[in-house]
Amino acid sequence: MASDGGFKLIKAARVIDGNGGPPIERGAVLIEGDKVKAVGSEENVTAPEGAHVEEHVYENQTVLPGLVDGHVHLIGIGDGRAGDELTTLPDEILTLQAARNARAHLYSGVTTVRDCGAKNQTTLMLRQAIEMGITVGPKLVLAGRPIAIIGGHLNYFGTTATGTVEGRAAVRQLVKEGVDFIKVTATGGSTRTSIASRPSFTMEEIRAIADEAHKFGIHVAAHCTNTEGIRNAVDGGVDTVIHGTHHEPDGSVVYDPELSEQMAKNDIFLNPTIHQARERIWQLEEMAKTRLLTEEEQASVDKYNSKWEEDVAYWARVRADGVTLIAGSDASWMWYKLGGTSFQDEILAHSDIGMTPMEAIVSGTRDSARSSWVEDEVGTLEAGKQADVLVVDGDPSQDVKALRNVVDVFQGGNVVDRSGVI
Amino acid sequence: MTGGRGSYTLIRAGRLIDGFGGPPIERAAILIQDSTILAVGREQDVSAPEGAPVKNLDYSDKTVMPGMVDCHTHHNGFGDGRAGDDLATLPDEILVLKSARNARTSLLTGVTTFRENGPKNVTMLRLRDAIRDGREIGPRMVLCGRPVAIIGGHMDYMGSPATGPVAGRAMVRQLVKEGADYIKITATGGSTRTSFPMLPSFNVDELSAIVDEAHKFGKLTATHCSSTQGIINSLDAGVDMIIHCIFKDADGTDRFREDVAERIGNRGAFVNPTLHVPRSTIWALEHKKADTGLTPAEQAKLDDQSRQFEFRMEDARRLTDMGLKLITGSDSSWGDYMLGNTMYETECLTMAGLSNMKGLQSVTGEAAKALGVDDEVGTLEPGKQADVIAMPGNPDEDLNALWNVTDVMLAGKLIDRGSTAPIAATRQHVPHSHG
Repeated sequence: MASDGGFKLIKAARVIDGNGGPPIERGAVLIEGDKVKAVGSEENVTAPEGAHVEEHVYENQTVLPGLVDGHVHLIGIGDGRAGDELTTLPDEILTLQAARNARAHLYSGVTTVRDCGAKNQTTLMLRQAIEMGITVGPKLVLAGRPIAIIGGHLNYFGTTATGTVEGRAAVRQLVKEGVDFIKVTATGGSTRTSIASRPSFTMEEIRAIADEAHKFGIHVAAHCTNTEGIRNAVDGGVDTVIHGTHHEPDGSVVYDPELSEQMAKNDIFLNPTIHQARERIWQLEEMAKTRLLTEEEQASVDKYNSKWEEDVAYWARVRADGVTLIAGSDASWMWYKLGGTSFQDEILAHSDIGMTPMEAIVSGTRDSARSSWVEDEVGTLEAGKQADVLVVDGDPSQDVKALRNVVDVFQGGNVVDRSGVI
Repeated sequence: MTGGRGSYTLIRAGRLIDGFGGPPIERAAILIQDSTILAVGREQDVSAPEGAPVKNLDYSDKTVMPGMVDCHTHHNGFGDGRAGDDLATLPDEILVLKSARNARTSLLTGVTTFRENGPKNVTMLRLRDAIRDGREIGPRMVLCGRPVAIIGGHMDYMGSPATGPVAGRAMVRQLVKEGADYIKITATGGSTRTSFPMLPSFNVDELSAIVDEAHKFGKLTATHCSSTQGIINSLDAGVDMIIHCIFKDADGTDRFREDVAERIGNRGAFVNPTLHVPRSTIWALEHKKADTGLTPAEQAKLDDQSRQFEFRMEDARRLTDMGLKLITGSDSSWGDYMLGNTMYETECLTMAGLSNMKGLQSVTGEAAKALGVDDEVGTLEPGKQADVIAMPGNPDEDLNALWNVTDVMLAGKLIDRGSTAPIAATRQHVPHSHG
């Protein structure tokens, strides 16, 4: 939807600009066309003399940057099916699902997403359709297909590589197809033929992939579910580590502070995908109100809850060692559905592991934008940025749950029509 | 019917048009159980079983009628004047997303069933799957899969060319296997650049084989006919619906053939004259003329389309006078005709002589018969699916009431239509010169 080009003045009880400072009470955001022109207190932000201005007044609401979900899978269905099964669906169905998820997530207040892996060209096609005006969605930062080893995690999405030469070739092919960044699976994962507790690519292979990506000015994000994989990714020069818990091959967690320090020193972001597992636990706890859980279900709830304190302590150490955690939901993978309040739940999880509400907001706006290499365009409310604005009831800087109370979503300066069936 | 289970909905209607063509019933009611109509009649005669919980919908200030049935659509299309040849170069993922958008818009305007006449590859079959699984919303679909064409023939780029009776039968089997509900055949060339609109495409033996194979599976057939010989061939082959039904000799001369029209009548075949497609191009060009002016080539096209439209209207009047069964099939989004504007084709049929009520039947009860889905939809009567639309005004007096549909019910469920913006964005307007 093209912006109508005029001025819009949003006034609100408070403005959170995404940089982490205290909210601006009685703040205002001036928009010209699709860009933010000025942000500040109501008395300091005015349109040029004589200009026609459309005012949006939110007496009791908070205005903040449109959310930036640093990790989505737009083709996912979120009904618990494994990626191995998801990938058996035809591309047309996956594209329609991606379009639906994109709408749902936009309507929920997320105006930018980084898609960390889809089958074939489905997400690239979705972007083309959005550009053609066929459908709407957030700004898309796309990996296209993830690069995997043969049999490795997400290899069924269509791009495998062996050796540094094939790794570079895979990057070139993806760049040719129009991707914005490279996703590489540095360890196994839920993919049945992969081994989650072991690395996949060698460090040299990752280094070639990262080097080739950086040559084209795009970043690399690596799926890592064990320590050795993280080490390969970090030594290989990736820019974001995904999941990132220090698992040993036997499944135990042995925290390596030096690895975190290395990440901090090299400004490597960490996308911990904290809510992904908890979403299923919440669903089971909800179900437990109407039926008895199976033994297996109850065991997974108990295990999760018994580990919670440990997890909180773990992430506190990671943060204390200087690693920047950024919010990325990982929906609609497994049981976690895009749209609704899904990304808000990941931001809430960041607050639950010890961030202040404002730090959690920054992890899902400015820092997720930095991690996605789009901080010049989105992630904060500052002059010159894209006018992607979220309006919520309440004050999320006090209670981050207020992010769920979406009132309006502006995309490129225009209010998104969120009515009707998604 | 055994009452007592499922949920009841009771619609009160200021006026009810049931799709059978009789005078509207004033102060009427419809009782629905789940997705099915249980009773239709005067308000005082229709009620839910004693004590049963019932959801009441009050349309006492509105007219209620069956959801519209559009007998001819192209959901892949954009309706922005682009040729089918160019449309077919788009990737299937784009076409399926466009189809989803079109289906949604069309549903919101009150179309609850359509027959799709020419999508590429499996795009529409996939969209139907996605709607079934709740990923999208859209009307009921009667799908051809892909149109069957000769090599180089009209819409061969959609993916199903066949040569010879054997390949024709094989193609029917393939389409039925994929989930086709009927078989669409292009019996003449058309706008496809490598085809010849004034000439037949398939030979009669090929057409007969395709039709025979389709009928064997209980599937109806419909042929695209841009010229007279294609109509004759279709009749020889026993086709069930003649699309376009343009009377042109091989040299392009416009010549109505009453003898051929009589054969259509005797066979009982339906005719889908697609009158608004040329008019939509005329309108698009006139809008452009008013806005930026036309090139000589565009002016020539405007003059030609205007002439064609006059011929087509004249022939349609003759067919109406002869009592042939004309139904509404918009042909949108082909050419310049966007989905979401089905009503314009019905309007053209009334301009060709159908009464408003007959026009409404052509887009409800008669349309459903033409598609062979009249056991499920098209009229409001017990046993049918509760596909219902409501609007202020009375379309029997003024068809324009169809533009103001406020509520759309599909299989007993009210669609959350949201804002009117998506409909407004696709509404095509009459140029000022047409007043």
